[in-house]
Amino acid sequence: MSHYEAPIREPLILGDKSYHDISNDIAAPIEGKANTWWWVVFSIALVAFLWGVGAIAYTIGTGIGVWGLNNKINWAWDITNFVWWVGIGHAGTLISAVLLLFRQKWRMGINRSAEAMTIFAVIQAAIFPVIHMGRVWNAYWVMPIPNQFGSLWTNFNSPLLWDVFAISTYLSVSLVFWYTGLLPDFAMIRDRATKPFQKKIYSLLSFGWSGTAKDWQRFEEVSLVLAGLATPLVLSVHTIVSFDFATSVIPGWHSTVYPPYFVAGAVFSGFAMVQTLLIIMRKVSNLEHYITRLHIENMNKVILVTGGIVMVAYLSEFFVGWYSGSSYEDFTYLSIGAATGPYWWAFWALILCNGVFPQLLWIKKLRTNFTVSFIMSIIINIGMWFERFDIIVINLSRGHLPSTWTQFEPTFVDIGIYIGTIGFFFVLFLLYARTFPVVAQAEVKSILKSSGDGYKRARDNK
Amino acid sequence: MASNKKYWKSVEELKENSSIVEKLKQKEFVEEIPTDQFLGDKDSLDSSATSRRDFLKYVGFSTAVASLAACEGPVTKSIPFVIKPDDVTPGIADYFATTIADGYDFANVLVKVREGRPIKIEPNKESSNGSANARVQASVLSLYDNNRLKGPKAKGESISWNKFDSEVGAKLNELKENGEKIVFLTGTCASPSTKSLVNKFSEQYGNVDHVVYDAISESAVLDAMKEMYGKRALPDYDFAKADVIVSVGADFLGDWQGGGFSAGYAKGRVPKNGKMSHHIQFESNMSLTGANADKRVMIKPSEQVNALIKLYQAIVSGVATREMSPLNTAVQNAAKQIKAAGGNAVLVTGIQDKNAQLLALQINKAIQSKVIDVANTRNIRHGDDVKVAQLITDMKAGKIGALITHNTNPAYTLPNAKEFIEALKKTKLSVSFAMNDNETASASEYVAAIPHYLESWNDVLIKKGQYSLTQPTIHKLSDTRQFQETLLIWLGSDEAYYDYLKGMWNNNVLGGKSWNKALHDGTFTVPVANDEIVTNDIDISAAGSALSKIKGSDLELTVYTKAGMGDGQQANNPWLQELPDPITRTTWDNYLLISRIDAERLGLENRTIDNGALNGDVVNVIANGVTIENVPVYIQPGQAPGSVALALGYGLEGLQKEMSIGVNAYPFANGIFQNASIEKVSGEHKFACVQLQHTIMGREDEITKEMSLADYVSRPKDWSTAPKFSLDHQEVTQDKVDLWEKFDDTLGTKFNLAIDLATCTGCAACVVACHAENNVPVVGKHEIRVGRDMHWMRIDRYYSSDMTVERGKEEGSFGTGEFFNAQIQPSDAPDVSFQPVMCQHCNHAPCETVCPVAATSHGTQGQNQMAYNRCVGTRYCANNCPYRVRRFNWFKYFDNNEFDFNMNNDLGRMVLNPDVVVRSRGVMEKCSMCIQMTQLTILNAKKEGRPVADGEFQTACSNACPTDAIVFGDVNDTKSKVSKLEKEDRSFKLLDFVGTKPNVFYQLKVKNIKEA
Repeated sequence: MSHYEAPIREPLILGDKSYHDISNDIAAPIEGKANTWWWVVFSIALVAFLWGVGAIAYTIGTGIGVWGLNNKINWAWDITNFVWWVGIGHAGTLISAVLLLFRQKWRMGINRSAEAMTIFAVIQAAIFPVIHMGRVWNAYWVMPIPNQFGSLWTNFNSPLLWDVFAISTYLSVSLVFWYTGLLPDFAMIRDRATKPFQKKIYSLLSFGWSGTAKDWQRFEEVSLVLAGLATPLVLSVHTIVSFDFATSVIPGWHSTVYPPYFVAGAVFSGFAMVQTLLIIMRKVSNLEHYITRLHIENMNKVILVTGGIVMVAYLSEFFVGWYSGSSYEDFTYLSIGAATGPYWWAFWALILCNGVFPQLLWIKKLRTNFTVSFIMSIIINIGMWFERFDIIVINLSRGHLPSTWTQFEPTFVDIGIYIGTIGFFFVLFLLYARTFPVVAQAEVKSILKSSGDGYKRARDNK
Repeated sequence: MASNKKYWKSVEELKENSSIVEKLKQKEFVEEIPTDQFLGDKDSLDSSATSRRDFLKYVGFSTAVASLAACEGPVTKSIPFVIKPDDVTPGIADYFATTIADGYDFANVLVKVREGRPIKIEPNKESSNGSANARVQASVLSLYDNNRLKGPKAKGESISWNKFDSEVGAKLNELKENGEKIVFLTGTCASPSTKSLVNKFSEQYGNVDHVVYDAISESAVLDAMKEMYGKRALPDYDFAKADVIVSVGADFLGDWQGGGFSAGYAKGRVPKNGKMSHHIQFESNMSLTGANADKRVMIKPSEQVNALIKLYQAIVSGVATREMSPLNTAVQNAAKQIKAAGGNAVLVTGIQDKNAQLLALQINKAIQSKVIDVANTRNIRHGDDVKVAQLITDMKAGKIGALITHNTNPAYTLPNAKEFIEALKKTKLSVSFAMNDNETASASEYVAAIPHYLESWNDVLIKKGQYSLTQPTIHKLSDTRQFQETLLIWLGSDEAYYDYLKGMWNNNVLGGKSWNKALHDGTFTVPVANDEIVTNDIDISAAGSALSKIKGSDLELTVYTKAGMGDGQQANNPWLQELPDPITRTTWDNYLLISRIDAERLGLENRTIDNGALNGDVVNVIANGVTIENVPVYIQPGQAPGSVALALGYGLEGLQKEMSIGVNAYPFANGIFQNASIEKVSGEHKFACVQLQHTIMGREDEITKEMSLADYVSRPKDWSTAPKFSLDHQEVTQDKVDLWEKFDDTLGTKFNLAIDLATCTGCAACVVACHAENNVPVVGKHEIRVGRDMHWMRIDRYYSSDMTVERGKEEGSFGTGEFFNAQIQPSDAPDVSFQPVMCQHCNHAPCETVCPVAATSHGTQGQNQMAYNRCVGTRYCANNCPYRVRRFNWFKYFDNNEFDFNMNNDLGRMVLNPDVVVRSRGVMEKCSMCIQMTQLTILNAKKEGRPVADGEFQTACSNACPTDAIVFGDVNDTKSKVSKLEKEDRSFKLLDFVGTKPNVFYQLKVKNIKEA
């Protein structure tokens, strides 16, 4: 008589792996050579990155005037991209911290890459608030450095200043959390490394991890504490980003629903970006057994929930604006005026990409399909970019005084910088995929059922 | 006496019998230095990489380089005063009273001079002709125009004045001996002294004629006045006395008959005891005057003639035509109003036809209008079209020996300019007195460079008995000489014009009064005898029947002048080019104004492209036998169908590249109107507009707040729609509710700015004044097009739309996209409102809270202040400003060849106000409420130990306003004008419901609408 085992839980790791198989699989991209595709994609990303660097240099050298902004629309692609990247950077913390606290074991297959994505995305995001300044060389003035330094004290009323703290806190906590998780995995690579240089590097990176029980105990405790610290950040970062708009007086910006709605939107877009990256990565880095249909489906479910919250927010924005009867609300980004005005295409791009298409994920067949999930993730990324574009550009283009109404068109520099950050993001991610253990193998090993299952199968087959 | 002290050089010396001491007594060093060995060792010397020769070369080279580098010291092109002139104190401005009289604009002005440089023109409010329009305000920049002539020229080559004098003098003498005719062709010359010099010249030279030519002629009214009252001068009007004003095509708030009537007009536009003037305007293109009218009737130019005849018949002959047409109804209504008001009514017309002007004069005479003054005439237009035409005929016939042009550019402004240039070649001598190398100057044999009026002496008789003086405020910037000086030289006199002028005044004008006083005041009024008005009998019916023969056509073209450009004399002035036209809100262009109906008929379009800018179709315009190619089309709401209009003053030659824009409309400036045909050609014109949305979108209750006189009288408080809020369960108005702690601002000074929308005509003088005072950069056409105008204040102009909220609700379309798209379209015959908007200096400024570095913060005097040095340029403040008044420095606008305007050259930079910093790239800027001016006022009062008097506080805009629509002052001073205005019924704050609590407030416009 064998004891009863619940049949509901599907295995999180497929392919009948042993512990050693996992080590081999995770170390393979680091120990092996890059294939041609990696080089092709890396080169493209690098070129895009360099183009972006050029565009930024041109902006700083000549003036913000090389962008398409004007005296009525003072922000457009810069802050759109900033909020978009920050939003993308949301999934990492949610997966690693919140799901850890909720003991969601399936996060272990994806948390490393999701966190890496977070950090790289936040780096992209951080570029924009800096370069959008007219006088970048004085950017350090937004830091609260004591007056003796010469830069004078800052204005703590300004949401832009809150951004500075929110983003930097988020980036540093995420980085520490990510790095803590990496320690046992770096140690694994170190132990396997044969080349002296590699061994040297990874022993430095692994901070002398020895794998003793005490190490593990501390590791678990630190992870838990950091998860506790990081969880509020999931809510705070985008809440504060939304304050940039919500605390203003501009119709369409001045809205109390922004904080929860922005957080949901950020998780929504973050998971979409994780989908995009992991669906490719599981193929390219042979991680099909670790990033499975189950992971994709779970993430699609999160997308569905957060997408639903976002949609409710859209509807309430639309309704409340209309119900107010104020003529100033007739042209906000979610209004009839916007739907029929010059930015109708941006309005409908938002509604279709974020509101309508994700509803297809209710169908199980579609949400468990890799191709559909991939396409959906791209659509959501586009939709969430448009959400920020609409919030910023449509609302600014239809201000209080009709005499100030205008439109915006990006220049090649605006586009160049955006593409440059995408390039930079992929340069970082591709380098990461070649040098870092892309799956948290130490954690994954803890959920491997092969010990019991293998023997059971062997016994049953007898 | 030698000292006996013995000094020891080392401790060794203290030892007795030290060998070292012994050795040192004989030799310099204790040990042998192996010099011989070193210098003698040829091998080791040869093996050294640096030989002795090389070493010397290096030393020589580096010494030379070091000394060369030292020679290149920084060169600063400023020379401090070695001996400070008594009347120049660095940092203290001097004001000089002078007079502009450029043949088109005549005004008494004050010139602000800092460190010897005139930097600003202000109206001379103590004079009777002291309102300075936008062009007068901007004329200081024309002084520092790099394009000005630097010296005399002969056949295009620079020559010296001596050579000029000898060559031209010889030719004049030759002509004199041969008895050939010498003709002076000048713009309106209102200077008695210049006239006397010309007279002296003609006495001396015999066959001399003086022909006066105005580019924009008022010949019709002058001839009519001559015929009716026997003197060729402009009647004066005091619109303050008018209860009813009927204008048939007269843009009297613009440049009609020399302009300057807006102050009087504005006095009648404020309701007093329930009364204000009623203004009916018949016109074809939307003028500033039509935009301000209570009732505007949109008719073609030919119909204007018709309307005038009918008005005459109804008022003078008492025959009312009973035709069932809207026009006739409007005309009969106007006639009824005029008759009812009797002597308090006035009829003015801008129809350029003597007969039409006769009719108008006759009507005013018949009703005994108190508004018109035909006795004390204005002296600022003399042009005589008949004489000019005769002159050209004579020139072509070779009858003219010499043509001397001064202050006029007929080769550009004449409709038959080509004919003139050809005819000019037939004269034996042609001399052009000009400030820049214009068309006439380049067609003339000799060009005499004349100084700007700010560098000249002169006198002007603006109105009968009202003499004014022009005095230099700076030494001549280049080798120029006044026309009058040259005349004196030609007369063989060695008297300076200043002495001549002073002599003239002492003998003929001052009557024993002080010259210095007159010079200080800039004006001198001579009492005039009340002449008996002699009225000639004229055959008015002949005039009427001549008029009635004028036939209209399908498309009638008129030319008009814009507030910024006028006749085009200052076309090289970037301030004026960048000044948005008050009506179209478009800069850097002229364009064919056309009604929507005609545009649709002809398949012409205006399009808004993706970046919000406006593009328009391009047409060829054929009229008066001339084709003007590639004229952009601008669809103008309020343009009478069947009429088109084109602005004068553009398309000049010889200007800086950036300013060479637009088309020359002067070939069409002939007669009342032209029968035009237009054909669409390929191409697209890019407009540079500062306002792209023209209707107010149902928001008038919070923005412009207009109401009719009847409503204002019956329910004076009802317009106040301040939202109600609940505070401690009490219903209160918005201003009582506050999230913020209030700080006590009742101490000291608290500035407020009041803008009366009833008296603001939209003339834009304030915009230029602000530009000049605050060193606002010029950004050029492209930057304006992409929405980056830098003006610190703007005058929003709204048209009414046919689709109102009420109508939308009635039709059931309210709230739909269809409704909004209809609401965006201006009406074809819109009502117009103007609203000057600058920083509102909010007490709860949204910009202040959002700046991360606190670069913009609140002053205790109420200003919202901008610390440029602290700004990092996040532009968050501009986004959070509901009024959109903040301006960002997108580029470096000075010393940058991409922005080749006055801030890019040494001469042009002389106009900069030293009290206001020039902003660097990447910082935000905006209206400062002219803090440099208010602080100076406070400091001066402090120094003199007295409180600041009311009216002493001024901003550039309030000072420039010809109608006193902008009033600035201290509201903590309860006796001040501004604090009284604040308590008036009509006061409101822009977008009050946002809760920004601005320190700028408006007074609503009341329209005297009378239903017929």
